[in-house]
Amino acid sequence: MTLMTLPNNDYINSLVQRWGAYSVTENIAWLDQLRSDALHCVNRLRMPTSHMETWRFTDISPLTKLSFPEASLFPRDQYAQLARFFLSESENRLVFIDGHYVAELSHIDSSERIIQGNLSSLILSHNQLISSYLGKLAQFEDDLFTALNTAFMQDCACVILPRNVSVAKPIHLLFISTQSETTSYPRCLVVAETGSRASIIEDYIATNENVYVTHSVAEFFLADSASVDHYRIQCDSDQAFHIANHVVRLSKSSCYTGINITFGAQISRFNQRIELSGEGAECSIEGFTLISGHQLADTHTFIDHIKPQGKSRQVHKCIADASAHGVFNGAVMVRPHAQQTDSAQMSRGLLLTDKAHIDAKPQLEIFADNVKCSHGATVGQLNKEEIFYLRSRGISESVARNLLTYAFGGEIIDHIAVPSLKTRLEETVLLRTQFA
Amino acid sequence: MSALLQNLVNRPYKHGFVTEIESDIAPKGLNEETIRMISAKKNEPDWLLSFRLRAYEKWLSMTEPQWQNVTYPKINFQDISYYSAPKPKKKLASMDEVDPELLRTFEKLGVPLHERAALAGVAVDVIFDSVSVATTFKEKLAEVGIIFCSISEAVQNYPELVQKYLGSVVPVGDNFYAALNSAVFTDGSFCYIPEGVKCPMDLSTYFRINTEGSGQFERTLIIAENGASVSYLEGCTAPRFDTNQLHAAVVELIALDNAEIKYSTVQNWYAGDEKGVGGIYNFVTKRGLAKGINSRISWTQVETGSAITWKYPSCILRGENSVGEFYSVAVTNNYQQADTGTKMIHIGKNTRSTIVSKGISAGHSNSSYRGLVRIAPTAENARNYSQCDSMLIGDQCGANTFPYIQVHNNSAVVEHEASTSKIGEDQLFYFAQRGIGAEEAVSMIINGFCKEVFQQLPMEFAVEATKLLSFKLEGSVG
Repeated sequence: MTLMTLPNNDYINSLVQRWGAYSVTENIAWLDQLRSDALHCVNRLRMPTSHMETWRFTDISPLTKLSFPEASLFPRDQYAQLARFFLSESENRLVFIDGHYVAELSHIDSSERIIQGNLSSLILSHNQLISSYLGKLAQFEDDLFTALNTAFMQDCACVILPRNVSVAKPIHLLFISTQSETTSYPRCLVVAETGSRASIIEDYIATNENVYVTHSVAEFFLADSASVDHYRIQCDSDQAFHIANHVVRLSKSSCYTGINITFGAQISRFNQRIELSGEGAECSIEGFTLISGHQLADTHTFIDHIKPQGKSRQVHKCIADASAHGVFNGAVMVRPHAQQTDSAQMSRGLLLTDKAHIDAKPQLEIFADNVKCSHGATVGQLNKEEIFYLRSRGISESVARNLLTYAFGGEIIDHIAVPSLKTRLEETVLLRTQFA
Repeated sequence: MSALLQNLVNRPYKHGFVTEIESDIAPKGLNEETIRMISAKKNEPDWLLSFRLRAYEKWLSMTEPQWQNVTYPKINFQDISYYSAPKPKKKLASMDEVDPELLRTFEKLGVPLHERAALAGVAVDVIFDSVSVATTFKEKLAEVGIIFCSISEAVQNYPELVQKYLGSVVPVGDNFYAALNSAVFTDGSFCYIPEGVKCPMDLSTYFRINTEGSGQFERTLIIAENGASVSYLEGCTAPRFDTNQLHAAVVELIALDNAEIKYSTVQNWYAGDEKGVGGIYNFVTKRGLAKGINSRISWTQVETGSAITWKYPSCILRGENSVGEFYSVAVTNNYQQADTGTKMIHIGKNTRSTIVSKGISAGHSNSSYRGLVRIAPTAENARNYSQCDSMLIGDQCGANTFPYIQVHNNSAVVEHEASTSKIGEDQLFYFAQRGIGAEEAVSMIINGFCKEVFQQLPMEFAVEATKLLSFKLEGSVG
């Protein structure tokens, strides 16, 4: 490491100092140990720079000036205004405001046989279970942001799906940001036991255009034959910073379907690692990024085929308007012996202006011979022939453009099976793809 | 897939022999003195010495790259002899005077210099270790004004051309190995095609590494003036050695307005034995500058040899409407490693590039495609199509793709496709049904897989490449 990283370490030091006073209320030995191990790594690790291959296109140096403290509690009398973020389909809801769990706004449907709640409410009753999962997937030894989250997480949204339980209604994990100049460390833990099935919405939203920092981490464990649909919606303020790490472990014949939507944040980074560590595991992930202004959105995915007969499907789409910068790095690894793997990846970028740009890096690493793997990547502008076709039917150029731009991303929104969420996103996309 | 294929892969290296010839070898080690010595031996002008020293200074300040997907023991750059030349017995006037030992070497390689050159219409500028000893067809080329000679001759006879273009595409401090080459290069080829001239024949150079322990630092410079065109072939074989040999060459191509350069390589250097011992390290910097409007640079490579192949023949598309092409077949077997691909840097308007890369891995080998397509903000309407396919033979090998796509202009269209496949039991069964044995079937499948690239090769190379490939993979499927 060179001298260049030194100023960055001030950021880490200042964060550590500001959070040093934060004490672990639970007083649980394993959790204290986990936090202190993570803190140890925080002190050892350095802020990533664009000299590192994985951060080559994403300069997060502006973040180093923003060592914001933890948010104060949101005033109780203003809770009512937040109800607009609730989804009509969802009876199961965990609400976190600026990182703090709010029991009054959360709703846990007791008729469903799921265990769900925040960490502090479940830690005593399910200590054994949580201790065997929390922090086991999200490795913090060489990831600063995961280490920060693990050391400082205020709370954790826990969802445990018991054996063969199928949850009909989606589970809504709502993270609302209301305060300026704060840092929050949202955390999710999802454990789907054998044969269980659920749909989970991880929703990040802001009440206004504040500058704040979110370092989130989510861990999903899918046991044999479990099936989880996961919608991750990032609608942070356009001034915010959002750095997220998500890890999924799939056991035998389990299935993970993920849709990741990125609209917000000045600089966002989404790291996703999916481990197909059981035979016949399947995953399908779709990503849609719609950015404008000077936004930078970076998506790094890593699909790791460890066992045979795995199947993965990935589609990533990015629309970059104005001076926005989209980054996509999609790695697919097929380990030795992961025979009969079937993997397909597609990345498509749409540039709306001549100042916007996209860096795409699909990546295939294959160490087994009986596999079917493909990837494709395109970056370009709207198809002139398609615009001409619409114009020949009397549609004006601008309407034709809007229509095609909307349709480009709409394809992924269409796959969301929660109607109210889908409508909300459609409206946002429509609003953001209407140009004069 | 079994024994049959195994046998096929494990063929010994056919071209493994050492020619005994008196060599003029510099003592091992690299310092300013060595560079001054090389420069003095070659009777070079001052500007070239300062070019070398500038490169050496840059090199000292650089560290060896770490990002590559190949591993090798650390190279001791002080343990390499930086100059070795066959002892000049006397000035050569004709082919008859060429060292008979040397001629025999080419016989063994199947390169009967005069006959084959005449028959095939190929002018062969023979490079044996680092000094050219024989040049044919010079007069024929001179008639149309083409300069085709060794770079040391060019430095003596056409210093202004060499000075103008040397290092203009690959600057002295471009990368670690290019800087090393710029400091210590001993010889290579120089080719200048004057305005409006279409080169009447394919130009070719046979490289051959000899003298155990001597690294080869070739330097090639090809310039095509306005409206000129040339097709250049490069073929390589090397004798068998147990100590690894470093080969760090630099190739620079410059195409001016409406000019066209086609550069084809068939590389079959010693790849080490089946345990991965020995073999050549092929760390080469190849770059073409499509400087003028409507210019075209095309790279075709068939990489079958070397313990490690690590190179990215690139095109800088600066001229409007310029075109860059890259066609590659990389075959790795046993413990060979390859990290190869291309860079297409689009700067000019309406520039187009095509990348077709085929990787075949067998045994314990590992091959990677690494490519960059960069569309600069100025590259209006740029177009790129990339396709990289890999084929795996056996479950001990690896195939990787690392394409980098950077688009800074919204009128650009960039497409990338990749796939991985293997020779399936069902395919072999289909052939067997029709009475075609596994070995022949594999050869046919591989040739079909690589067809798009082989089509780009000049005729005689295409035949050679096809043979080379089936020979390389013999025994790996069964």
